[in-house]
Amino acid sequence: MVLARASVVVAAVLALGIPVFSQAPSQQAVASPAPEPSGAAPKTLSTRVVSYSIDAKLDPAKHTITASEMLTYQNLTGQPQQTFPFHLYLNAFQPQSTFMTEVHLAGTRGAGPDSEWNPKHYGSITVDKFEVEGVGDLTGKMEFIQPDDHNPNDHTVFQVTLPKPVAPKASVQFRIVFHDQLPKVVERTGYAHDFDMVGQWFPKVGVWWKNAWNCHQFHATTEFFADFGTFDVKITLPQNEIVGAGGDLVSTVSNSDGTKTVAYHSEDVHDFSWTASPSFTVVEDSWTGSQGPVQIHVLMSPGHMPSASRYVTALKGTLRLFDQWYGPYPYDRITVVDPPHGGADAGGMEYPTLITAGTAWDTPKGLLAPEIVVEHEFGHQYWYGMVATNEFEEAWLDEGINSYTEVKIMDALYGKDTSALNFPFVQMSDTAFERAGYLSEPDMDPISRLAWQFIGSGSYGDVTYGKTATMLVTLEKIIGEDTLRNALHTYFMRYRFTHPTGEDFLKTIEEVSGKDLRWYFNQAVYGTNLLDYAVSDAHSDPLKWWEEKSHFGPSRKKDEVYRTYVTVQRKREFVFPVDLEVKFDDGSAATEHWDGQDRWVRYHYDRTAKIVSAEIDPEHQITMDRDYFNNSYVKESNESAVYKLRNIWTFGAECLSQLLAWMT
Amino acid sequence: MAESRPKAFLAGAGLVWKWQRLVWWIFAVTLIFGIFSTQGMVERAGSKLNHSLASRRLVDGFDLSAILALGTLPESPLQIEGPTMLHFSVVFAIFMLFATGGIVATYLRDEKPRTGTFFEACGYHFWRFVRLFIYLAIVFAIVGGIGAAFGPIYDHINENSISPFPAVYFMSAAISFVLLVLMIVRLWFDMAQVVAVADDERRMHQVLRRAAGLLRHNFFSLFGIFLSISIIGSLLVAFGLYVWMGLLSPHSIIGAFLLSQLLVLILIGTRLWQRASEALWYREHAEAGVQEPAWTPSPVIVSSSVATDPAS
Repeated sequence: MVLARASVVVAAVLALGIPVFSQAPSQQAVASPAPEPSGAAPKTLSTRVVSYSIDAKLDPAKHTITASEMLTYQNLTGQPQQTFPFHLYLNAFQPQSTFMTEVHLAGTRGAGPDSEWNPKHYGSITVDKFEVEGVGDLTGKMEFIQPDDHNPNDHTVFQVTLPKPVAPKASVQFRIVFHDQLPKVVERTGYAHDFDMVGQWFPKVGVWWKNAWNCHQFHATTEFFADFGTFDVKITLPQNEIVGAGGDLVSTVSNSDGTKTVAYHSEDVHDFSWTASPSFTVVEDSWTGSQGPVQIHVLMSPGHMPSASRYVTALKGTLRLFDQWYGPYPYDRITVVDPPHGGADAGGMEYPTLITAGTAWDTPKGLLAPEIVVEHEFGHQYWYGMVATNEFEEAWLDEGINSYTEVKIMDALYGKDTSALNFPFVQMSDTAFERAGYLSEPDMDPISRLAWQFIGSGSYGDVTYGKTATMLVTLEKIIGEDTLRNALHTYFMRYRFTHPTGEDFLKTIEEVSGKDLRWYFNQAVYGTNLLDYAVSDAHSDPLKWWEEKSHFGPSRKKDEVYRTYVTVQRKREFVFPVDLEVKFDDGSAATEHWDGQDRWVRYHYDRTAKIVSAEIDPEHQITMDRDYFNNSYVKESNESAVYKLRNIWTFGAECLSQLLAWMT
Repeated sequence: MAESRPKAFLAGAGLVWKWQRLVWWIFAVTLIFGIFSTQGMVERAGSKLNHSLASRRLVDGFDLSAILALGTLPESPLQIEGPTMLHFSVVFAIFMLFATGGIVATYLRDEKPRTGTFFEACGYHFWRFVRLFIYLAIVFAIVGGIGAAFGPIYDHINENSISPFPAVYFMSAAISFVLLVLMIVRLWFDMAQVVAVADDERRMHQVLRRAAGLLRHNFFSLFGIFLSISIIGSLLVAFGLYVWMGLLSPHSIIGAFLLSQLLVLILIGTRLWQRASEALWYREHAEAGVQEPAWTPSPVIVSSSVATDPAS
């Protein structure tokens, strides 16, 4: 989920461009039969707790879905289970829901605080019938619960208690008939024109985790959490609709009423989403990695075709580097959905083997927003898709880790200093972009905060994405970039297809690095202390300062010894060891390493040379430092930067003056 | 009438060049105001940047994140100087309203703008131009209302098209239309100012009526001059910006300053070129055939120590 952040970059630069018509003829997906089963049972990648079989019918005119769902739940909790909670995420799109109440208070992507309610944004999921195999109709036993905030108007979670518990290792089958009303897209799911993005659209059972049911309400700043399993989904819709889904297309059957039924199968995933629009243009490609070929399906919206090649190039580079650095991508497909004009709020989102990207008709090549979105959303196939952390309670484990791997991959693919903006007159790296997010709200909330308990959506975004990425980049300074990469590889390989916690991640880093990093994690992950070290003083005085100087002759005697003082100060509460490099005017240098514990430290040097500069963190690895500008001191004043800023500011002021004069 | 276009168009440029001290006066005031409005930011930014190695990120190229980082600091030196910039710009606009009388009189009379006569003309016409400005503000507000009315239409087109282009084309057309109307209004009031100075007319509604009549009967001639000069100025400024952002070395501070000020000179020069062309056009085509502005400066009394003998 990065489109809102990418939009900031977009807003930073005026867009130029030439319109390109893109109404290439629509293509229908081609049916391919399911492969013949081999003799031996296939090895599964995950522990398949759930098996969903859904038959759905889309009415694209009304943006409604009627469906029936068969959910087979394997009770692997080790305990008898009698009460089962379910998510009904679509009910969040109602004015009195917890989600909308929080949006109105503190905003979310696509909607700021004090947003007015638009009836078109109404969405719902209604369970018409709830049956349990061998038990019967339990529709009347459904009860809405609100485990997080006790808002009785929030209907995003319901639970059902069975007459008898399901024994450990036994399974239970739920038959659920439901219908959806998709909202005009405001957050991830919904419609825009003839485009339907269908995510979080079916009743989804909660997760038994840490010895209890984990089934949170849908909040303005939360995402999702579910168990692994299989999905068999049939979708009936008009024949002219082009469908994209997170699964392998099994068959396409034309029906006599002008509709078609497409069937998908997906395994070792924890969600299923799909999209449909008659206006897509399909772009097919493929990539071959360590696990074999991966089919790439890109569904482009009208007016956005110039970005198709950018999506594909970024995706292939990302696939390659993830495969090399972190682990293999085990699926045989990835679908990229490009939301249309007016549907941008469906963009920048991840689902297993399906991602939504985002671009505009006039996105210039120097603005790498489409590349960043595709890279980020694909990254979620690893951090969230396979390493399926709890996005409600530890959002940083998917968004933050993914933002870190995003900056590493963007830097590798597009240049260390130009991976977000690359124009002749302005540049910016993706690392700096994430850091800018961190700096805008650096100390309101810790990284480890529960996702719905941040002070607002701004802090959630800036901390979860920006601060986590910056925290991990700074961690490279302590353990090394290669070690951190190895740690992420180990973490992925160990915890893929499971639900690890933050502590699992941090302990893996400590294990791989062989270092005790608690001092760092306690401050950076669990705390809100700010990190700011500064060179507060640097000067050289003659050692024999008391001797009178002659007014005639050279101002500096040959072989005169100078005492140079450099004071480094810890301005904030975060304690971090820092390096100091001092340079002298005879070309020599001195390097110090300070543990950063005290408030300040002073070094002195007796040399025949004077100080030229003093710099903390000369390799610029401590990206968490609040203020780069006080990290160094140069004796010789250099006003170039200020004059440059003055040129720009003065020109702007003069243009404004001319404009106002024109209007008088 | 058609012959007047190249004549006033080119002669206007000649007039601006001839009395280029007007351009330099206005440029000097613009530059001084521009420097004043940024002085606070410069001092605060200097304390942060002048002795810091991190400032290289702004000099070797232009790292936008450095600006963002500066902006997020608690004592940010880049707290936008919006109010200061705006205040100085408003003061400048008032100055230009004051100076317009002298500028138009200079071009009508085609005489060297001496300081005394120039400012006397400025003062003489200032309150008339203030009244004209009030009328202008009303008309601009009406045009603004028309522009705002396009918003719901744009939204409607946006809502009903999956392709972005219908709305983009509509907005482009709407913006072009509004700009065209604004330019016509500006030209109307420019001519009103010329009429007010040339005919020494005190009644602004009369001035506006006469200017409207001139514009109506000579629209293509007058607007052709105005638009041509605008296009030339815009192209020059666009090219200059391209050179500044795309070709000039990021280390070039003096070069960037000179180029930016050249662009400001072009903006001022093209605006005065329009005023000069309008004044010349009016001199040639006014109904009364006025060759010289009706207003003349107050006679200057010179005392002499030499006694005059009527008999000698």
